[in-house]
Amino acid sequence: MKKNERKAFIYLAPALLLALLFSFLPLAKSLIGSFLTISQSGKVLGLAGLRNYASTLTDSAFLSSVGNTLRFIIIFLPLNTLLTLLAATLTRRKSRISSIGECIFISPLAFSLSALALVFKEMFRGRVSIANRILGTDLAWLDSPATAMIVLAILGVFLDFAIDYILLSSAYRSIDKSVIEAAMIDGASSMRILSSIELPLIRSMLAVTVFMAFKDALLISAPVMVLTEGGPFRSTETIMYYYYLEAFRSGNRAAENTIAVIMVAASAIIMALSARRRRFD
Amino acid sequence: MTKAIRIILTALLAAAVLFPLLYTLSLSFFSPGDFTAETAKLLPSSFSLHNYALAAAHSRFPRYVLNSFITAAMASMLRLAVSTLTAFAITHIRFRGKRPIAIALASTLFIPSDAMLYENYVTTAHLGLLDSYLGIVLPSVFSASSAIILIGAYLSYDRDIYDAARIDGAGDLRYIASILTPLTAPAAATIAIQSFIASFNSYLWPLLVTTRPRMRTVQVGITMLGFAEHGETGAQFASIVLITLPFLILLLAGRKALMKALSGGIGS
Repeated sequence: MKKNERKAFIYLAPALLLALLFSFLPLAKSLIGSFLTISQSGKVLGLAGLRNYASTLTDSAFLSSVGNTLRFIIIFLPLNTLLTLLAATLTRRKSRISSIGECIFISPLAFSLSALALVFKEMFRGRVSIANRILGTDLAWLDSPATAMIVLAILGVFLDFAIDYILLSSAYRSIDKSVIEAAMIDGASSMRILSSIELPLIRSMLAVTVFMAFKDALLISAPVMVLTEGGPFRSTETIMYYYYLEAFRSGNRAAENTIAVIMVAASAIIMALSARRRRFD
Repeated sequence: MTKAIRIILTALLAAAVLFPLLYTLSLSFFSPGDFTAETAKLLPSSFSLHNYALAAAHSRFPRYVLNSFITAAMASMLRLAVSTLTAFAITHIRFRGKRPIAIALASTLFIPSDAMLYENYVTTAHLGLLDSYLGIVLPSVFSASSAIILIGAYLSYDRDIYDAARIDGAGDLRYIASILTPLTAPAAATIAIQSFIASFNSYLWPLLVTTRPRMRTVQVGITMLGFAEHGETGAQFASIVLITLPFLILLLAGRKALMKALSGGIGS
């Protein structure tokens, strides 16, 4: 038995070490640090109690980053869910059109985040942009707070589209064909089969993709960095982009630690809700 | 009737999804004048390969691409190795403390690395790994979700095979390499592909841990090529096409396998 234990710990050592180094220790450091006053250079100056949380939670820049993140989620999440579900639904049966559609719908996967963000920057470059010409609009897009967030949300949809499409498609295709054939023989219409058989059966995968997208949206920062750098007028400064600025540009250790703790808690709540939902299915 | 609607909707959605890709291709041929035209142009004024020549001659672009391939391959192989050892220990060995260890490892799923960005940066700096491939790769090597996918795959095989192999004198590593991994190849492929894509696409972490230009990955480097600053914006998009097109071809060629790999282990 002793030998087994030693063997198991040797095999588990790399995973345990990495989990400790890059998950547990940083979380512990952030958690402890969030109750301390720490100088820019990392020196502990004293106990802060809840003062760091109080100052972060009343900081108008932090609060507006929370508002911006919520605005992003409100635009992005329904749009993303609707479009990926539509794409997967349209191509759920095997046919020539479906396989062409499938090729096209997974193609955004070839684009990487920064490359696509650079393309979006050009597509929505002010009033002379190609977006205005094609849509017949006269919007300032990335130069105006109201529309910049919409562009960011569309970019978010493109970044998540292919993987969500793949997950939903595979859920549709794992449905037992005989059930659908039986319904067809009974004369059920295609719409009826979709709404009473197929959609209920992919519901749990849909929930997985929605929760995944929700968590991604809550933590969004890299697309902001390349596309807008938080502008115009800090209107697209999301929580994690604000965290990045405070941690790496301003050396604000109080904001860095408290936001890290708050965001771990928030995403843990989303994950717990997702896990709970799955158990009920 | 419903078929017509289905085709129209598919076509509309497909056009929207394809637009950025096709427009990038078009932009890659734009002359400097095309970018500053009064109304935005859809197509370039000529199909000169000037921009591609500029992109290919860029002193660092090939190096950025190479760095990305090296780090993505490293991340993918290391993650596969660590996940394999972890899943093997959890599924094949009986030992005290298994449950708490498994729970602890799984609980890392609840700690998003984005929120640990600064602390991980400090750790990586302390380890002396800034501006190194290992520094770019290390924080993403252990992934609880990858280990969970493999545990699921290993559990579906009978432990009798392991016992038989041991009686025949095969050591654990030998058993893992020549029996277990081949038997669960789809799960291993899922992990390798997922982590290659995730690593190749990551932007923020490589940006933070690299300061020397020659260590940048292509995701970071492509935003710093400096073409736009010299009025050669088209070359920027030619570079994007050069790194996107090979992936697109790979993606379409291996579509079935890729879709299977990427949907493996999620939601089941």
